[in-house]
Amino acid sequence: MRDFLKSTRFKVMVGFLAFLVGMMVYAVTRGGYSVSGASFINTVTKPFRAASNSISRKMEHTVDKLTNADKYIEENERLKKQIGELNAQLTEYDAIKAEVEELRKFVSIKEEHEDYMLSQPCKVLGYVTNDPFKSFTIDKGSADGILVNCPVVTSEGLVGITVEVSKHVSTVRTILSPDLSVAAVASSSNADQGIIEGNVLSSENGQTKLIHVPKKNKLKRGDLMITAGNSGLFPKDYPIGTILEIGFDSNGLSVCADIQPCVDVNRLTSVIVITDFSGKKEDEENED
Amino acid sequence: MKIRTTREQHILRFKTTLRWVLYYLLIFVSFIIMTSGTLYKPMILVPLSIGIAINNNMYGSAVTGAVCGFLTDICCGKLFGYNAVVLTFFCILANLLFELYLKDRFINYMIITTVVSYIQCWLDYKFYYQIWEYENVGRIFVKVSLRVWIYTVISAVFVYLVLKLVNRFLMPREHLTIEEAINTNIQSENRR
Repeated sequence: MRDFLKSTRFKVMVGFLAFLVGMMVYAVTRGGYSVSGASFINTVTKPFRAASNSISRKMEHTVDKLTNADKYIEENERLKKQIGELNAQLTEYDAIKAEVEELRKFVSIKEEHEDYMLSQPCKVLGYVTNDPFKSFTIDKGSADGILVNCPVVTSEGLVGITVEVSKHVSTVRTILSPDLSVAAVASSSNADQGIIEGNVLSSENGQTKLIHVPKKNKLKRGDLMITAGNSGLFPKDYPIGTILEIGFDSNGLSVCADIQPCVDVNRLTSVIVITDFSGKKEDEENED
Repeated sequence: MKIRTTREQHILRFKTTLRWVLYYLLIFVSFIIMTSGTLYKPMILVPLSIGIAINNNMYGSAVTGAVCGFLTDICCGKLFGYNAVVLTFFCILANLLFELYLKDRFINYMIITTVVSYIQCWLDYKFYYQIWEYENVGRIFVKVSLRVWIYTVISAVFVYLVLKLVNRFLMPREHLTIEEAINTNIQSENRR
């Protein structure tokens, strides 16, 4: 031992240790920045470390998957269930939101026309198969107070009339049908009367027709046509549609016009039925 | 020549029941398809009822025709019973034709279905539109009736394939071929 303490190897080792301590002290004084040597090593070894790290992570991940498989499956199931519940809540929320919006619109009808007795909002079950005039069925019937020949509306305007009523389902004939005639008057003048009646050509474009208007009239493009309410089948002053084009009837004796209904009859999801209103005729006919 | 054991009779009964359950399931699905959406759709119940009629007995065909007709009336908003009468008549007719004159071939089925669905569409147009003399009523025939007829004929191909599949597995063979009958006889004699 004494020989070793006196040897050159010992002195070299002490010197080397002293160098390292000195380096350590220097590193401390750098205030967190690497010394140039360490920085160089870091730079050189960086790609190798990255690759190695990546491999080890993958290995760890694989091992982790193997060892904790049960735990992850359980967690996965729990999260899936949670997502399902959240999706269901979201769907419910959307449905409620849409329903509230619909109800708001229907409330506005009641506010504007206090004399109306309205049914519950009716969902459109489906359109009558291959009907060119877009008749449809709704999910309310006689059990909900709906009768034959009740006006069917949305907050935007008149849709049609109930033509067949069973206990829980009713069929609605729309204003595109030539079998439904509605007395209409221009809202601007409240004088130029005519009959709104669908026809084959107009219904192809989702439009209807205003016919039998006297030659002397003040109708112009864009005028809103509303129900005249003469015979008590439809309530007075309910919007039907706006005038697109004005022309003459085929006989040339009267004026007719293309009408764009206020309601897009092709895309209805819910409607409301007016079961009673002031001035309603008891003995209804299918013509207003 | 009919040779049936008790076990074979049980299988026959089971297959027949299952086949009819499947027929009516198909009818129900077709009804749902016909009632959904706003686009023009094929009258799937017409080829379906004809397809069932040509492979089964007359009573079954008539009842199926009536059921399909009633369902057609409901989804098309027609007078309840109108299409039932039409389809029952054509189902009975198709059943008779296939029993007496025609073989169960795809082409025969297509010819019958094409004719029946055309008549059905034409009658529908005649009674529900043309008779009321709407202005430009001819457009309904061209734009609706003919279109629906073409869709129906196209859908008949798929209906035939589905029915063929059902019948292939579940249609019991009422009669044995001569070879089968001889073989069965030989086997029963050997057992003795």
